[in-house]
Amino acid sequence: MGFNPMSAPLSPWEPGIFSLAIYGLLVVILIAALLFLSGWLGEKKTNPEKLRPYECGIIPTGTARFRYSVAFYLIATFFLIFDVEAAYLFLWAIAFDRLGWAGWFQISFFIIILLISLCYIWKKGGLEWGPTSKDRNIREISS
Amino acid sequence: MGTNFKRPEYPGNIILTQLDALINWARQYSLWPLFFGTSCCFIEMAAVFTPRFDLARFGAEILRGSPRQADLLIVAGTVFKKIAPIVLRLYDQMAEPKWVISMGSCSNCGGMYDVYSVVQGVDQIIPVDVYVTGCPPRPEALEHGLLLLQQKIATESPSRPILHLEGGTQGSQKPILIDGQTKSRDTRGPGYEGIPIRGTSVTPPEFWDTRSDLMWAPPPHRIELAERDKSLAQLLNERFGDGIRQTLPTSDMPTFHVTENRLKEVLKFLKTEATPRYLRLDDLTAIDESARRSQKPYGSYAGTVAHEISGGERDRPVREAYLDYTLVYHLLSFDPPSRLRLKVGLRGKDPVIKTVTDLWPSANWYEREAYDMFGIRFEGHSNLRRILNPHDWEGHPLRKSHPGRATEMEPYTQDSARKHQPLDAGMFVRSVEDQELLVLNVGPQHVGTHGLMRFVVTLEGEKITDLDLDVGYHHRGVEKIGERQSWHQFIPYTDRVDYFGGAANNLSYLHSVETLTGIQVPERAQFVRIMLSELFRINNHLVWFGTFCHDVGAITPTFYTFREREKLMDIVELITGGRLHPSWFRIGGLAADLPEGWKETVEDFIKIFPSSLKDYEALITKNPIFKARTQGIGSLSLKDAMEWGVTGPNLRACGLEWDLRKKIPYSGYENFQFDIPTAEGGDCYARYLIRVEEMRQSLKIIEQAVRQMPGGRYVCDDFRYLVPDKSDTLKDIESLIHHFINVTRGPKIPRGEAYTATEIARGEQGYYVVSDGLNMAYRMRIRAPGFANVQVMPLMARGRLISDLMAIIGSIDYILPDIDR
Repeated sequence: MGFNPMSAPLSPWEPGIFSLAIYGLLVVILIAALLFLSGWLGEKKTNPEKLRPYECGIIPTGTARFRYSVAFYLIATFFLIFDVEAAYLFLWAIAFDRLGWAGWFQISFFIIILLISLCYIWKKGGLEWGPTSKDRNIREISS
Repeated sequence: MGTNFKRPEYPGNIILTQLDALINWARQYSLWPLFFGTSCCFIEMAAVFTPRFDLARFGAEILRGSPRQADLLIVAGTVFKKIAPIVLRLYDQMAEPKWVISMGSCSNCGGMYDVYSVVQGVDQIIPVDVYVTGCPPRPEALEHGLLLLQQKIATESPSRPILHLEGGTQGSQKPILIDGQTKSRDTRGPGYEGIPIRGTSVTPPEFWDTRSDLMWAPPPHRIELAERDKSLAQLLNERFGDGIRQTLPTSDMPTFHVTENRLKEVLKFLKTEATPRYLRLDDLTAIDESARRSQKPYGSYAGTVAHEISGGERDRPVREAYLDYTLVYHLLSFDPPSRLRLKVGLRGKDPVIKTVTDLWPSANWYEREAYDMFGIRFEGHSNLRRILNPHDWEGHPLRKSHPGRATEMEPYTQDSARKHQPLDAGMFVRSVEDQELLVLNVGPQHVGTHGLMRFVVTLEGEKITDLDLDVGYHHRGVEKIGERQSWHQFIPYTDRVDYFGGAANNLSYLHSVETLTGIQVPERAQFVRIMLSELFRINNHLVWFGTFCHDVGAITPTFYTFREREKLMDIVELITGGRLHPSWFRIGGLAADLPEGWKETVEDFIKIFPSSLKDYEALITKNPIFKARTQGIGSLSLKDAMEWGVTGPNLRACGLEWDLRKKIPYSGYENFQFDIPTAEGGDCYARYLIRVEEMRQSLKIIEQAVRQMPGGRYVCDDFRYLVPDKSDTLKDIESLIHHFINVTRGPKIPRGEAYTATEIARGEQGYYVVSDGLNMAYRMRIRAPGFANVQVMPLMARGRLISDLMAIIGSIDYILPDIDR
């Protein structure tokens, strides 16, 4: 029986935790060095133009901080839901042999519920991105 | 390359100098140029990145889209006063250290564009490290410029500033140049201050005498009107009585003078009731009549004797009563194909007339242009503001009293560039009640806008709720230049109006001049003109193919189409000696005969091109991603297209079989067999299909031209107008005299006017030339296809996604010098 990190005691003498600490320290030093060098090295010339947001060479109009269109939130919500689904699937897949048929049925039930909801969203037009047929008929010109 | 770079005043340090060498080596071979170009030069700059020239070999990789990622600014093309504030801002926003290459004569010093709208050298606003000469420089020249810049970088000592020590240098160190102190804008050159500036003394209104009056020229060519036109004239006369007066004779089309108060009735009648229906407003422009010579008392501008010599009664100034301005409307009927001209005289310094935007929506931009250029106001116009010139411009440039040359005006400095900012995007937004909309500027500096054009987009999420266009960033004042260059000297300017059209532009201009004068072009010259025009059509469509596919996400075709384009450029170079701007057609024919070996070269191309085209089509035509991005996107109905004056492939994609080469043939197109491709739907995909098929048809025309190339003269034998062969001038006196006169003073074109249009790759390009019997035009009007084609874009884009806008822009295929002129 070899070394098992799951069962090993958290001892400072154990080589596992010691190398992790060294590794962590090196990472911190490296990041600090890189941040310092990139911040300190080189010529910095700041002027109002350089600090201005780039918008195709024109001075931007208005702010970019306002309420976003609800469509973006919908996409974010759907992503969240179906991403969580994937997280559960991974967990189940790691231990599917130990969970047996009971686990299989449970996860199948879970997938089917989400599948139905996906179909529902699809049917409702939640996955449509872009102009609806109503928008496409905008033809009036006001100039 | 300049050498004002100084070695550091601090003693060399072995560590620092080694570090210098290392840093310089790294910087030399990892330059990141900004994707920035203003005009023709940018095409050669883009060619540098394609397979034949492949700049990556020298250590300047892909063009960067944002100044934050770039350290090399290649100013490729003309720097306009309207774009100069943006150039300065881009330079300011670039990463440190940064370098600048000025590419092409325009950027170096204004080049051939000494005109009110152009900055006479970018070095007046930003420092320049390397100047690349040429108009435009060949791609190899830019590569050489890059190598020179690398040598310059090798002499820098950047380690001191990098380590925050005293001294050292990196990046552009040159000061910006100041007119009168470190640079001279004098067009005469050093030592010639005593002579008058070329052009001004013979240009109205300052001129006091002209030697053109001493020259005799035959009267302008006159046409016999068709029966149809005669009966229409009669009908108009019966209906409007004193309100309308026919001008007889004319050189090109039936012409009527209308009184101001009856104008709208006449236009409405012609559009909706007359037979044929004049459905399209081809062009709307104005003429400032204040410098007409016939207005002045007889003796004040030329001696009586001169007129006795120069042809007696016929050439004597017609004492036509010109009012202060004339508005000119060119109308077009589709069936049968014919044109008609209406002229309205306007009185007063700032005249006002009723708008016709309710009759033709396309009149919107044309009236704005007339307002911008002449100061004529249009009553009832919903949005009468400047269109081409900056919003804070003073004066109206096409008035005869406005200075033509930039060198006659105050120099443009860095302060001017900081002060004259483009109009804020908020001024373009119409729906102000909803504060939650994002107002976004796409362009003028943008990879997807294909030139200096600004789209002010109002977005709700990703959906475009409104779109307005701000043009004029590429306004080169070519119409003003046309009023000071002689009829021959103007030819090179036409090449640059549509810089993918090359020689095809020459044809548009010359066709108008030849219509006015009645010059008969020999058959051989006509065939060569057609062959070159069609080669340039393929050239345009190839570049369009690559860039359009690039816009919708397919980068591969660019490299292939540019490969084919280089083959075309080789043919053009073999025949004309030039690449982008051959300036090779002349009044009455060509500059030279076809060279030896032209036939084999063109035949080679005819042989290989169909299979290349097949390859491109295999990549794109049935590509599901491409179809999803283009089918049903940017649809335009045929009715809208006709109302808005859309021409060229964009019109044919709406289903109308209309091509000037067939409908109003010119230059001998009636001798060729080819089809007019049409498509249904008017969407981006339809426009794609049309252009691909047009390449095939153009090849067919080229093939016929090669096969049936007639012999004979390459230029007409009317020495009055043409520039004789240089070798002939050494043999006989007639050639010598005419060579001398027509090169220096330029030929005299009889008093009159003509409007003709040709079908160039992007649509119908028309030239309206007005001569006052001088060696230069009185008014040079260019009817550009792009101006009308892009005006319709909000119709296509409203309600679509922002990503669709890119597909629409690509599919319209416009070019800025043609829109802004």
